[in-house]
Amino acid sequence: MANFIHKPQSAALAFMVAGAVWFVVGAVYGMFSAIHLVAPEFLPHVAALVFGRERPVHVNTMLYGFTGTMLVGIGLYYLPALLKTRLWSEPLAWVAFLFWNLTVLSGPLGFAFGYTQGREYNEYVWLADVSLVIAVACLIVNTVMTIVNRREPQLYVSIWYFMAAFLWTASNYPLGNVMWHPATGAMPGLIDSLFLWSWGHNLPGLLITPLATGAAYFVIPRVTRTPLNSHTLSLLGFWLLIALYSHIGAHHVLQSPIPNWLKTVSVVDSVSMVLPVSIVVINLWLTARGYGGRVWNDPPARLVMGGIVWYIITCIQGPLQSLPFLQRVTHFNNWTIGHAHIAMLGFGGYIALGAMWHVLPLVSGRPVYSNKLINLQFGLITFGLTGFFIVLTMAGLVQGSAWHNGETVLRVLPQLSPFMVMRAALGVFILTGSLVGLANLYLTLRPARDEEPLLRGEEAA
Amino acid sequence: MKMTPAFLIVGALLVFWASTFIIVGLPSLTMKDTPSDIWRPLSPLEREGHRLYVKNGCSYCHSLFIRVSDWDIGAERIARAGDYAGIEPAILGSERTGPDLSQEGGEHSDDWNIAHFTNPRYTTPISLMPAWDFLTKHEITALAAYVQALGGKDADVRQKRQREWKRQAQAAYAGGVDRNIEWLHAQVPEVWRRMPNPYPATEAALQRGKRIYQQLCINCHSPIGDGNGPAQPFLGPPPLNFTILRRHLVENRYIGGIFYYQIMNGITGTAMPYFKKHLESEKIWDLANYVAVSFLGYTDANTEPRGIDASYEGNWQNQYQPPAVDQSP
Repeated sequence: MANFIHKPQSAALAFMVAGAVWFVVGAVYGMFSAIHLVAPEFLPHVAALVFGRERPVHVNTMLYGFTGTMLVGIGLYYLPALLKTRLWSEPLAWVAFLFWNLTVLSGPLGFAFGYTQGREYNEYVWLADVSLVIAVACLIVNTVMTIVNRREPQLYVSIWYFMAAFLWTASNYPLGNVMWHPATGAMPGLIDSLFLWSWGHNLPGLLITPLATGAAYFVIPRVTRTPLNSHTLSLLGFWLLIALYSHIGAHHVLQSPIPNWLKTVSVVDSVSMVLPVSIVVINLWLTARGYGGRVWNDPPARLVMGGIVWYIITCIQGPLQSLPFLQRVTHFNNWTIGHAHIAMLGFGGYIALGAMWHVLPLVSGRPVYSNKLINLQFGLITFGLTGFFIVLTMAGLVQGSAWHNGETVLRVLPQLSPFMVMRAALGVFILTGSLVGLANLYLTLRPARDEEPLLRGEEAA
Repeated sequence: MKMTPAFLIVGALLVFWASTFIIVGLPSLTMKDTPSDIWRPLSPLEREGHRLYVKNGCSYCHSLFIRVSDWDIGAERIARAGDYAGIEPAILGSERTGPDLSQEGGEHSDDWNIAHFTNPRYTTPISLMPAWDFLTKHEITALAAYVQALGGKDADVRQKRQREWKRQAQAAYAGGVDRNIEWLHAQVPEVWRRMPNPYPATEAALQRGKRIYQQLCINCHSPIGDGNGPAQPFLGPPPLNFTILRRHLVENRYIGGIFYYQIMNGITGTAMPYFKKHLESEKIWDLANYVAVSFLGYTDANTEPRGIDASYEGNWQNQYQPPAVDQSP
């Protein structure tokens, strides 16, 4: 055991495996809640399985458990690799692993039994908050000390994003979760909605986005075997992300009685988010230009590039739906749910999966068991998610425009059932995709397998 | 520009805190938590209900603010900052699978709410809300108390009205079946009591009425209209048994206008909600025809006094005639 936690890159591998497991758990909960939106009497009288308790488990397990955990694991590999050194302390990374996963575990164990703060994306109870902040603090110390002990003078853009993700989370998470009020984790009155959505939107923006962007910046140039298109563009993208993104949480309560100047700031900056996003996308696109075949023929890189495509889709949608006139129709309904799914699974999840498959042979020293299974996973998730996007957007437009026409929620509800049935059916594909990924991961790491020499370099050539 | 470790760390934190100060810091310093005109403190039971609302994730389907653009529920009162004074956490919500609840207090009677939380489909057959019957009786009461308090002083006015009419409705019900129906009819304005159903009870119209009955009415009034739906044990006075109305012909017919008025306006104090927000006029008339034909056996559709048929209506002969009047003294 002691040897194991000192083994180089063992923590990185542990984070990635945990991410794959949480993906399955989160997808199972997603499946249950999708079924409950079709058949509310499915498994009745089970307190732990009602929609209001399933949803936070699904959301938090997917955010922190799947996307977050997997991306941290990938970062723990590329951070020392890009700095030409070892991770400063492998045991410290294991401590972070322990506390991080305790927080995620508190979701299925706690929310299901009513131990929740109930604020969207801030549901973890105080003890779980503390656990997460400890994990992030460990990761900060580890990252800083690895940077200090580096043998590569230049800091590559992935490192900035990895470092900053934890700095921002450590500053922002306690604030958004109002950790100085442990009893409710909330501020009294309307101001609470600003704290809530500050973290609610910064969670994808300042934790998942930098981690995923960092991973994409690592994988794409490696696969195309060309240098990054532009250092200056990546600088611009990095600083614009933090200057703009932290402002936009208030667009979730745009039509509530918060101050007008605040609405203006959040709308203007939401629209400006087009800039840092297009910078990342253009930079990676230009890096891969002329080498599209290499990206397409490499299943992990194909997933990462797929994530970039979802990124641009979600970030065209985001600014549009934050415009007050359009938000009257797109807010409060399944449109937003579709947006959240393509942001978190499409952007964060695709890049996490792709980068994991890319990094896995480098971490474990074994080739991925089957590229065909990666392709199968890509196909399953893409079919499911594209369907989600279409179905939920359509359902949202039906709801939003009906309400705008003066219809009541009660009247629109029966019209949603075909969409909800399709959504549950499509959820099967995503759940299967998560299981295929876990199986592939298990078969890759299975100990009793005949060792084959690592052929990756030759294959790619 | 060269990214040194110090520049990266200090810069990233500085920009973050500057941005965050604008979006969270400034509002914290300037927003006032002043109660609005309808605000009132929650009672201990209502506070308990609020905790249950939070911990069971009600906010994932129910929003707590009415927007300017919400025509259906927003005509009377748009959310104001002071409505949320002191509520911790005041979760506004981001999704409306179920309706907005911020002005819900007093919309329904207490017993309707209890039945609704025990199993939402008892009172609203098309609901997607989970049944909360694993909560204790006390917890369901607390949840109902919280929902009845939403809307503050406005909700108190509505609740007072509910309780006042509940007292009268219960007294009428205690007076016996016939006395109860006389009382119910007496609450309908004279002009409606004399108005026959203006729409023909064609097959299509009866089918439309049946669908609406199954979507909205069936779990109180039951599939055979005898008022013994699954919600019945929770409600006092219980849902009306339509078949009894056969004894209450007015001038040898049962008046469609009475059905129409009661469906449209509900019966405040009882569990009968109003449907004027949800159903257009013709749908209410169709439902009235369906109830009359299915459970009474006849309808006064197309009888005098009547106006000109609508242009789309064909020639329709009323085959649902009332039984012959017994003339013997």
